[in-house]
Amino acid sequence: MSEGASSPGTYLYAVTRSVSSALLNGVCGIGGAELRAVPAGDVAGVVSTVSLDEFGEDALSRNLEDLAWLERVAREHDAVVQALAARTTTVPLRLGAVYTDDHSAASRVSDARAAALATLDVLDGREEWGVKLYAIRPQTTAAQPADRPTSGLDYLRRRRGELERTADDARALAEDADAVFADLRAAAVLARRHRPQDPALSGVSHPMLLNAAFLVGRDDRPQFHRAVDSLASTRAPGAVVITGPWPPYSFAALDDR
Amino acid sequence: MTDTLEPDTFELAAAARPTSLVDLLDRVLATGIVLSGDVTICLADVDLVTVRLRALITSVREEERDG
Repeated sequence: MSEGASSPGTYLYAVTRSVSSALLNGVCGIGGAELRAVPAGDVAGVVSTVSLDEFGEDALSRNLEDLAWLERVAREHDAVVQALAARTTTVPLRLGAVYTDDHSAASRVSDARAAALATLDVLDGREEWGVKLYAIRPQTTAAQPADRPTSGLDYLRRRRGELERTADDARALAEDADAVFADLRAAAVLARRHRPQDPALSGVSHPMLLNAAFLVGRDDRPQFHRAVDSLASTRAPGAVVITGPWPPYSFAALDDR
Repeated sequence: MTDTLEPDTFELAAAARPTSLVDLLDRVLATGIVLSGDVTICLADVDLVTVRLRALITSVREEERDG
């Protein structure tokens, strides 16, 4: 291990229109570091100092595979973005953008200024909601007929029927997810689908059919919640899960998709 | 224009329901604008599912070893 003098880097959390001291009041960055603004014309980045021992290229690739590290940093990153988003319109950055110094961070923010301003206009007065849909089957235990196949041919016929039913099921579930997405999209400004979560990661054993994010006007929150409630009321308990409000993470990159 | 809003709506909702790590990783690792850093890898180039799975597997292995 090398001795304590680690070189510092500038970690960029988000871009906003302008940063007053009140905006950063009482909010800490990663590792409890102080936040500061790097102005770039009519937009500004919010940054803090991190150690390159932790966030340098090699260190970061290694640390991203350490779940405890990843969780801590993800939550600290999110805490900053949440605090900013609660106070002003905020374009969150993806976790892990580190620059050699504030000047370098400011110049990247400045390069992205036009896109950031356009995004800020879309995000004004809006918030993100997450909706997940799980395939939860009613508990029908009598799945298999007890009688045995009468012949090889009978066996094959039954097996094919089973496979077709499974394929039909999968199709029906996918259509259901599409319908839910379309319904909620109609109650939102923008919508996008994330990849469904792996049960090993989510801890939920039911298959996830839909993992979606919706950008909703704050004033339209009650209508959006009613739309979610009405979908949930026709399904098994726990089949529809809403999360939020989130800072508009899923709608920060408008021009790259 | 002013874009200030009452902060308590956000904080109350966040306090009421702790954020699940996977929901959070869906967002902080896979969304958000990418202004590639001049120090770090551009996360857009990383297969994030692999990162997440590897992180999980590593942590499970460590638990087994420690436990």
